[in-house]
Amino acid sequence: MKRLLTNKWFITAVSLLIILAVIILGSFPGSPLNNILKPVGGIVNPVQNVVKSTGNSLSDFWVALTDGMAIRKQNEELRAEIAELQYQLNMREEAAIRYEELQEAFHIRETLSNYDVFGATILSRESDEWFAVIRAGVGYSDGITLEPGQSLAVVDVRMNIIGRVIEVNEYDSNILPLLHEGFSISGKVNAVNGATFIIRGDASLKRDGLCLVTGINPDVVPSPGDEIVTSGDGGLFPQGIPIGVIETVDTSNELNITATLRPYSDIGDLNDIFILVPMDEMTDEFTEPGDPNETAAADT
Amino acid sequence: MRRPQLIRKIAVYAVYILLITTFQVTFPGVVSIYGLYPDLMFVMVVLCAYMFGFYDGIVVGALVGLIRDYFSAPSIRSLDGSVISSVGIGLFVMIAVAALGSSFFTKRIERNFLLAFVSVVVITLLYKFVGHFVIYIWTSVLSDVTYNMDMSQALIRSILPQTALNLFASVPLYLMLKFMGPYKGGVNPVLIDEKGKGDNSWLIM
Repeated sequence: MKRLLTNKWFITAVSLLIILAVIILGSFPGSPLNNILKPVGGIVNPVQNVVKSTGNSLSDFWVALTDGMAIRKQNEELRAEIAELQYQLNMREEAAIRYEELQEAFHIRETLSNYDVFGATILSRESDEWFAVIRAGVGYSDGITLEPGQSLAVVDVRMNIIGRVIEVNEYDSNILPLLHEGFSISGKVNAVNGATFIIRGDASLKRDGLCLVTGINPDVVPSPGDEIVTSGDGGLFPQGIPIGVIETVDTSNELNITATLRPYSDIGDLNDIFILVPMDEMTDEFTEPGDPNETAAADT
Repeated sequence: MRRPQLIRKIAVYAVYILLITTFQVTFPGVVSIYGLYPDLMFVMVVLCAYMFGFYDGIVVGALVGLIRDYFSAPSIRSLDGSVISSVGIGLFVMIAVAALGSSFFTKRIERNFLLAFVSVVVITLLYKFVGHFVIYIWTSVLSDVTYNMDMSQALIRSILPQTALNLFASVPLYLMLKFMGPYKGGVNPVLIDEKGKGDNSWLIM
């Protein structure tokens, strides 16, 4: 017995079984086991900040060395452009005031005016093709909350969708990238009464930076080059956020027409992201009884 | 092992673990093929286990696994269809990898640099094959999800590039572990003593 208890393979097997139990128990919603990694953050976060700032400094130094001349030239061009833009801005400020007056008068509500926008920096990226959750530096201490069954859209600076928040912690959030095979979203062609379908991440296409489009109606097949935006079906994501363009369409099987979509933006290339959080009255609207089934079918 | 040596070993391991894990998740795209990156954490655990034995491998594997889970946990689809970020899969993988690395032909052949690289290749291949198989099985269980990657695609676009990248990364990591610590001369003195002592010798520190 003593020999068995000191056998390294026995101890390894027992340890792996215990960890397996933790993995299974941790997968239940609201499991306290999800908090066991919190202390790790206290040690590794400061180190990561140092590594990140050192890497960025080295990168900046290298860029300064190689691109100095080009930057100087570009700087001059940009100054001229800023002067031009400043003039346009002055003109548009006047127009914006008039638009706001009209908006108020006609009770117009912009889609995104119902959302709070939280900016965040990407803290850590995927470490492997399967260990692919991305951490962003904004959490519930900043005012973000994630109700069960709810999801938050993540966009880039041009408001293109790049992923969704699947977990919110105290100081950070876990983001599922658009290309991940667990991601799916309801989209439509960016046109009046545009056809709707499901856009999902795909294991074989993500290496090429593409998504799979399924659920295409044979009567309304999208064409390569069509711009696809969120349809808003299910209410998880606001309507009209750009996703990408159709790259190829496969009509070889009429019962299962598929297409590939190239997203406008890849979270892997970005440092700053924005999280769209519905305002309180909208959160209530989205978590009404009966809604989650429809929601799960559309945006998951 | 004397106290200064032990302190040196712990300090060097701490620096390696913290720097390599944070570097990998902060700047993953330094070298990339088909959107895949060299898995520095994985390679370090395999090499530590192979070069310095079971005890070192398991401890390094457990710490690296915990940090991997913290930084970039895999997202899994639960049975109700929702996508969640998991806890413990990195820990599980890294401990299993360390156990395999520590016993990679170490009983029959002396530990040597060539087999260190072979161990990285073989264990990466095993990890990727098992990973694809498990994901295939899991997505088969779920009704609305399909794993659109057949065996040849998995081989060409995932398994082989990842193995090549890990082999590439294992060269500097091997040199680092061999010549910069945690042990002088790149040899764990405990492993020299443990020869012929049977299965319990791994507990000696």
